[in-house]
Amino acid sequence: MAETTSTAESSDVALRSSIDRSLRHPVMFFFSSGAVWLALAIVLGLVASAKKHSPEFLSYFSWLDAGKVDAAHMSAMIYGWGFQAAFGMIIWLMARLSRKECTAAGTILWAGHVWNAVVFYGVIRIMMGEGSGIAWMEFPGEVWPVLLLCYAAITIWSLIQFQVRDAGHVFVSQWYLLAGLLWFPWIALTAWMFVFVFDGGHPLMVTGIAAWFKATLFFLFFLPTALASAYYLAPKVTGRPVYSYNIALFGFWSLAFFGPWAGMQRLMGAPIPQFLPYAGAASMVLILIPAIAVGYNVIKTVMVSREVVAESPSLRFTVSGILAFIAFGVLSMLLHTVPSMKMTQFSYSGYGLDILGIYGVFSLCAFGAIYFIVPRITRREWLSRRFITWHFYFSLYGVLAIVTCAIIGGMSQGQGIEDLSQPFSTMAGRASQFGWGVTLAWGCLLFANLSFCLHLLLMWARLGRRSSHPTLLKGHSVGNPHGPEGEIDNYTSASV
Amino acid sequence: MTFKAFIFGLLGTFGIPWLLVVVIPYSTMRTPVPVQYEEGSQLSGAFIPSREGRITEGSKIYGQEGCYQCHTQIIRPTYAGNDVHRGEWAGLRKGPDVKVDTRRETIADDFQQEKVAHIGQSRVGPDLSNFGRRLAHYLKANKSELTSEEWILMHLYHPSDLPGYKDGAKPYDSACPSKGGLFNEIEVFGAGSGTLPVNIKAGRGVKPTDRARALASYLLSLKKDTLGNPLPEALNYNTEAPVSDK
Repeated sequence: MAETTSTAESSDVALRSSIDRSLRHPVMFFFSSGAVWLALAIVLGLVASAKKHSPEFLSYFSWLDAGKVDAAHMSAMIYGWGFQAAFGMIIWLMARLSRKECTAAGTILWAGHVWNAVVFYGVIRIMMGEGSGIAWMEFPGEVWPVLLLCYAAITIWSLIQFQVRDAGHVFVSQWYLLAGLLWFPWIALTAWMFVFVFDGGHPLMVTGIAAWFKATLFFLFFLPTALASAYYLAPKVTGRPVYSYNIALFGFWSLAFFGPWAGMQRLMGAPIPQFLPYAGAASMVLILIPAIAVGYNVIKTVMVSREVVAESPSLRFTVSGILAFIAFGVLSMLLHTVPSMKMTQFSYSGYGLDILGIYGVFSLCAFGAIYFIVPRITRREWLSRRFITWHFYFSLYGVLAIVTCAIIGGMSQGQGIEDLSQPFSTMAGRASQFGWGVTLAWGCLLFANLSFCLHLLLMWARLGRRSSHPTLLKGHSVGNPHGPEGEIDNYTSASV
Repeated sequence: MTFKAFIFGLLGTFGIPWLLVVVIPYSTMRTPVPVQYEEGSQLSGAFIPSREGRITEGSKIYGQEGCYQCHTQIIRPTYAGNDVHRGEWAGLRKGPDVKVDTRRETIADDFQQEKVAHIGQSRVGPDLSNFGRRLAHYLKANKSELTSEEWILMHLYHPSDLPGYKDGAKPYDSACPSKGGLFNEIEVFGAGSGTLPVNIKAGRGVKPTDRARALASYLLSLKKDTLGNPLPEALNYNTEAPVSDK
């Protein structure tokens, strides 16, 4: 996390620290409440997964019924954790990259509170059996306009900062941030209008548009935010320029080209215009192209200084997130060819890919960003190297286990349904074995995120270390560029 | 790359798929052409799905209770899956007490009166496209004393307790979690209290709520066969089909 400040002008340092100060409340709020939502989403995921193989588990509580708990799990994960982590990353990265202080921290903080209240209300309604019953859009209809208004109140300032920035080079991360900021309202407004507002649409198209929303929400909002953070951190932490500008350009535009077509492969074989599911499947296959482009570019950027990747928590998480993106591209290609669609369309493997996207790609990059941003805005260093290490290894192990179990289990489940010589119960038995694996893996993720959540809340309470030494994952006392370890009040030193 | 080029690039790369994938298909599907029966079949004119019951409300509850997480409602054409040949998912097979093979793929009109088509997320449980017809058929074949409605309500209340509809002697092998929240436990004084034929404690009975009844009514309306009258759009029954599970 060594930021090369030695050559920077002192006014530059002052500007950065004033940007950080202007944003510390909203950003810390988004990260901490997001982390709490993530822990909750993981608990719900554990319950949902357990009910798939042990139907009697917690069956006394009807608000935790199978079906409803799946919906609550995904909604808490996406709208509670995903969006809030993304908001924190977007507003901080855009302010830093446009070199403008945030002048609307109060409004953002208010909108953030409303967002949390509305997500909480939505999750409760789902558990009461009053959701909409549409995958990934399970919140009842009235929630969506409020969420959109909050989104506007939170992110409009980032667009303004970009608009009033001093003229100059626009960095790769800014393309992704700007595009994501513009794509999301378009996607969400479309989905809300077509699914909840317009009357008389065909039920199949309503389902199709919700499926399109689900896919594009990941490709065109979560993914760009994660990649913006990766393109910011990789050069920043290693102190090297991005490996290739042209590959970055290609990676960005290939995502912009292929992303918007995805989603309707969920309706393969349904009586809708036939090119829709094929366009969706093609887009899921072609997503490998931006995955390889971005992956190659970021890995090439950081690989010149491997020891930094090993030491820095931010880079470790970010590089894992980028590797997960490459894995996502490869698996997405393999699972969406026409022969494999037969087996994967209605099996666990779709869930495995969703989790790889949301937890593997987006969340790992978000953790990387959080480990970088939080010490800067709180002016305290992370307390415990051990907490970070636990968080890292258990996250990695958990997400790998979920993805492996869900995808292999899903393939064997799908194969079982296709194989007419086997009764249906054979396939149900196969799926439930892998279901146990998924449940145990959620347990790992729960442990990882409890240590993360606790650590973050301690930082939020300003109990971090007051030191000029960043918390690195390996010992480094000799020849440290920060000088000998000591209690330094970097509040004053940085605002010189 | 100038800012203007960037914005136009975004408009183009997103706007075109947005029109082609979302807006245009949505508007064309708003006014679908009704499917006509084949010339020379017993029925003529447009196909109207033979569904009755509280479909709109039941479909909403089906979604709210999250049934679509584990059950699908789609019979894909064979290029996309073997659904047509799996058990009685797509319709009844020709047999001693079934004269015509009524299996067929799902067509767009099957979802009439529903707000959302519950295509489903995964097949942890079986496909429900033809659930109503399938259940009635098995209860009849096994000379069960339960009506279809009683059976499905008991299934929703406690799936693993139910006598099997395939084999009366063996308990029904179900991994479906209970939907106990849709039922009330009430005090029972004599007969006629509208409770389910399940034994809990003496003097107590299980009574389905309105939601449970609406959901049951919807589930029993899922009959995606056309009584053997072929539809040109979705015909896919084949007497030479591979033999499926018992």
